[in-house]
Amino acid sequence: MRGLFLTGLLMGSVAAERMIPNHVLDVLSDYCIDCHDTAEKKGGLNLDLESVDWSKQESRILWEKVLKANEQGLMPPLKKDQPSEEERKALMTWLDESLLENTLIGGTLPRRLSRVEYRNTIRQLFGLPEFELPNGFPRDGKHHGFDNLGEGLVTSPALLEAYSKVAWAVADQLYPPEKALKIEAWTAGPEDMALSFSAAAVRDGALRLASRHEHIMRSCTWPSRIEVKTSGVYRITVHASTYKPKSKEPMILEVRAREVSASERSSVSQFRLLKEISINSAAQESVTFEAELFEGQTLLFRWLNAEMTHDGKELEKQMREWFRRDPRYLAAWQKSVFPFPGKTLRSRASVLRGLNGWNTLKNHLADPKLDMSHATMESERTKKLLVVFENGMTNVADAQCHYYFEHGPALEIHGLTMQGPLKVVDGPKDKRRDTLRLKMAGLEKGSLSDEDYARKMLVNFLPRAFRRPVDKKTVESFFVLAKTHWQEGRSFEEGMHLLIRNVLISPRFLYRALEREKLDQHMLATRLAYFLTQGPPDATLRDLANRKRLGDSWVLKREAERLMPTKWNQPMVQSFTRQWLGTGLLSEIMPDPKLNFTPYYVEMARDEIEYSFAEILRENRPMTDFIDPDFSYMSGMFARNVYRVEVGKKGKPGSKADRKLRRVKLERGGRVGGLLGQSGIMMATANGVDTQPVLRGVWVLENILGSAPPPPPKNVPALTPDTQGTTNPREMLAAHTMEPSCASCHRRIDPVGIVLENFDPVGRWRVNWPKGAGIINASGTLPDGTSLENVVDLKRWLVENVNQFSECVSAKLMTYATGRVPNHTEMKEIKEIVKANHAKGNGFRDLVLALIESETFRTK
Amino acid sequence: MIALPSLESFGSTATPVDGPKNFVVIGSYLGLHQNAFYPKTIGKNYEMPDTLKPLAEHQHEFTVFSGLDHRAANGHAAWSNFLCGNSPKTYSLDQMVADKIGQKSRFASIQLTAGSGEANKPMCFTRQGVPLPMIQRPSVFYKQLFVSKEDRRRTEYVLRSGKSALDSVVKDAKRLQQSLPQGDRDKLDEYFESLRAVEKRMDRQLETINEVVPEPDYKLPSYDPITPNLQIESETIMYDLMALALESGSTRVLSLFLDGLGQVFSIDGRALGSGYHGLSHHGNDPAMIRDLVAIESAHTHCLSGFLSQLKEKKNAQDKSLLDDTVVLMGTGMGDASRHSNRNLPTLVAGGGFSHEGHVAIDQKDKDSPLLGDLYITLQQKLGMEVESFSNATRNMNDLFS
Repeated sequence: MRGLFLTGLLMGSVAAERMIPNHVLDVLSDYCIDCHDTAEKKGGLNLDLESVDWSKQESRILWEKVLKANEQGLMPPLKKDQPSEEERKALMTWLDESLLENTLIGGTLPRRLSRVEYRNTIRQLFGLPEFELPNGFPRDGKHHGFDNLGEGLVTSPALLEAYSKVAWAVADQLYPPEKALKIEAWTAGPEDMALSFSAAAVRDGALRLASRHEHIMRSCTWPSRIEVKTSGVYRITVHASTYKPKSKEPMILEVRAREVSASERSSVSQFRLLKEISINSAAQESVTFEAELFEGQTLLFRWLNAEMTHDGKELEKQMREWFRRDPRYLAAWQKSVFPFPGKTLRSRASVLRGLNGWNTLKNHLADPKLDMSHATMESERTKKLLVVFENGMTNVADAQCHYYFEHGPALEIHGLTMQGPLKVVDGPKDKRRDTLRLKMAGLEKGSLSDEDYARKMLVNFLPRAFRRPVDKKTVESFFVLAKTHWQEGRSFEEGMHLLIRNVLISPRFLYRALEREKLDQHMLATRLAYFLTQGPPDATLRDLANRKRLGDSWVLKREAERLMPTKWNQPMVQSFTRQWLGTGLLSEIMPDPKLNFTPYYVEMARDEIEYSFAEILRENRPMTDFIDPDFSYMSGMFARNVYRVEVGKKGKPGSKADRKLRRVKLERGGRVGGLLGQSGIMMATANGVDTQPVLRGVWVLENILGSAPPPPPKNVPALTPDTQGTTNPREMLAAHTMEPSCASCHRRIDPVGIVLENFDPVGRWRVNWPKGAGIINASGTLPDGTSLENVVDLKRWLVENVNQFSECVSAKLMTYATGRVPNHTEMKEIKEIVKANHAKGNGFRDLVLALIESETFRTK
Repeated sequence: MIALPSLESFGSTATPVDGPKNFVVIGSYLGLHQNAFYPKTIGKNYEMPDTLKPLAEHQHEFTVFSGLDHRAANGHAAWSNFLCGNSPKTYSLDQMVADKIGQKSRFASIQLTAGSGEANKPMCFTRQGVPLPMIQRPSVFYKQLFVSKEDRRRTEYVLRSGKSALDSVVKDAKRLQQSLPQGDRDKLDEYFESLRAVEKRMDRQLETINEVVPEPDYKLPSYDPITPNLQIESETIMYDLMALALESGSTRVLSLFLDGLGQVFSIDGRALGSGYHGLSHHGNDPAMIRDLVAIESAHTHCLSGFLSQLKEKKNAQDKSLLDDTVVLMGTGMGDASRHSNRNLPTLVAGGGFSHEGHVAIDQKDKDSPLLGDLYITLQQKLGMEVESFSNATRNMNDLFS
């Protein structure tokens, strides 16, 4: 096979204009050119031609489209005359052969580094493992679902400016500019302190802290109008007091250093502890201390030993105790969470947020007619209420927090003053500078002259930065820059700074590899490294490329095996699955609070996919394990609350063991397990509030079956769900797609979308449509006549036709790896590889290795 | 108010044009609660709904539109349909305008955000669909507009050494480009074009350094209000600077993104009942809606201050800067409580339009106009010859001109 591609397809240009044979012309004129002629050109397609210039990319794209439309039976539209089977076959055979003969393997456009690749490359090149891109660094566009394709990786002025800003920042770390010292003083009162969720509240002129949690937005406050400009020692005075403490034990106020620009979702522990202060009295105490703060930081305050916690498990215990002690408090909570107790208890916890929730609760507490008849520990309402607390439903905890703000115990901050720097100190960046310089230059400056040092630095650094050997001329062209700068009276440091900046905006650095026809050793090393690690080639790969060893098939394979990810959290696993399956969207979706799908569940849902993918790859499991595996990864709690199944008991419901992700065994042939129906995927294909069968159907066609339908006409509105619940999604869809012109795509889309209706917008198993729209009917018929009752039938069908799935994944992998969508000829090679791999046991790891050895991978 | 010498000063164009020449757009991430934003009646003399009350003094200078949208997908992920139309994350309205009318000013367009924290949710996209970063720090925006004396030498060094760096990079890259096949060279041209654009911008900045733009007597606070709880403060400052930017002719196209996270605001001394995002999921709870509307009214209050400033600033022909500026406020989410992107609350102020009060579009009518149709009208008012926007191909000139 490979020989054929090499000789037939890599030999440069192929004869151009070819006549369309008569028997094909007949089919085209009978069935196609009524609409697709020069005059009407429906869909922008003109097929009224007598010959084809195959050397033109446009004609190849055009005819590949025609072939796809025929393969999928999309054309002619159902209301028009249909060709006979022979006629269709004649057209398709001619197209297949012509395309194969005329489409060369290869064609990736020059690819600049994607956002993540760029970040990783800087990390690796300079030894800055925690380097992050600045706020507002432009995002990459997605093309065919991936952010690393040649076509999609556009270079824009905004991006180039961002590159040069990053280049300045990196150069500043190695050769910082001199700074003028300015002494500053700040005063901050309670009103200058940040309130986020229920972390703090201002009462009686003091800021009160009341709760513990790992996330700063649920436990901490900070003066948001202070930002240190110079790293140094600062004198800080904090005025604080206790408010209604329960014991003699002092309240511990932690003071930490917070980056002003850090996320509110950050963990407390990521900020450096400056001081622990003991607060013992209800009268204001003032504590003064000195601490180092670095550029860009402010202070962060937390009450370390608060009683109230946001941890669901612990909070449930506290509330259980409380309710036992105080039935009236219990009754008020019951009334707040279940205001309309009918036959089934519907929780309204989602609207009980923060102070609002607390006010609701207080109103009920004050109500003399408060219903006390269920305020026992045995009642159903109490049990359900405690589950709400236990599930980590943040709203109720946020409301409960206000009890403490009002009644204590709470820790009060009355204000603070800060001044400095008393002396300038080296921030962490300063301290690391020598190591960084050594890493970059590969040698100490020692007694070398400025010029010698700069030259030697470039000889060592440029090949690493540009990921290939660099000739003397290039080294010299960079050296001259620094030299000129020095001659103009600039300092040694400024010259070095300039060199670093220049390297970092050179296209040799920014573009992965400017590749000629066939990949050379260095380009192959680069492609392999970014594919498997999202980073530049390491020393071993560079060395092999220098010694021209990577061309040997067994060396390439060995290297691929060495770099192949084995763990769920390695960059390739996460980056590839998130883009292929669309699960990168999960953090953006913000599910409707009514669905009670807390961040814990979102994380579990994503972990399930990534752990499973990593295992199938690492253990070389068969491709069918993507569809119908005998294992998955989830917690007992997740299985119970999302998939509605038990997966072997570990600990009591809600316990740490119950919440922990673990590998679980599954029965093959069931509804749980595999990509179809995984919560994370079901969530990514909905919008957080309701399901959209069309989106899911398109998703399955595109990402599981590899036959994406053409985009919908632009004038069709998105389906907006009927909030009254009078029509169910199935009926709405049927009405939506009555038009015959819609039917040719929708008969493929709808069955595979509807069959997933048993999964709600977060992938939770359900039997009924919401709002009383009835029992879900998920049945349908695939275009090949297979009838589906539910998702299990679809999984069975896919296992029987697994090569179609393997071809789809392979195409996605190759798209991600090579930066181009495989063309007709490349798909042929991929299909051969899938077939051969199937015969050898169908292992996923074997498949990836075979793809890396393919011509498609090894050609530009 | 201080007078600013201008590069291409407002009102000093050689050939006076009748239409407006600036475009400002404000986008609210968590939507704008419809019941408090849409007037109950149509036409001019409606009773001010709560969110619009802060804008009462400008009632005759703006029009509210209900019932418009792009028929785009639902959910937060499709939010950027606001300026991109039916296909989110593509060429956005403000950039179309910037590409046509922004080119001659010092900055073709400037993108700003208030209350974003760490988040990164782009609103504006270039022709190629590249999302544009937003300035979060007022001090950075200020420095772009007005280079101070102390900073001038440093800035000049940064620019000049940056420029000489570019020269050498270009030389090296050209050498590299010659060895590549044609398709690749074309692709690499993106890089050169970007370089040239950056270089041009540096040139323009270098020129203005020598022209000595004095700092206005505007006083920035000593800190940047960048954490989400200081959003309203940041918004106020951004609007002040935006007015100065338009007045000095530094740019003609400005965008301001209003993010929404879990920050708890205190408004008029009262801490609100929940974080901003929490309130947006109000589930029709009246107390939550009241607090949500309080935040949104704070947004319109800031906008009102901005409109007043634009109204006060007049050119030699006594035309106000507001008449010279099309101001669009809107969102990509029609109802944040349901994550629905239908029926997007939209407001247009200034721009020399004859303002119509409340224009209500009945979505049940199959031929009802799209939000894109309004965008066509806005562009035409700005002197652009356009006939389509995303999925829209008409305009709304007969309802609004």
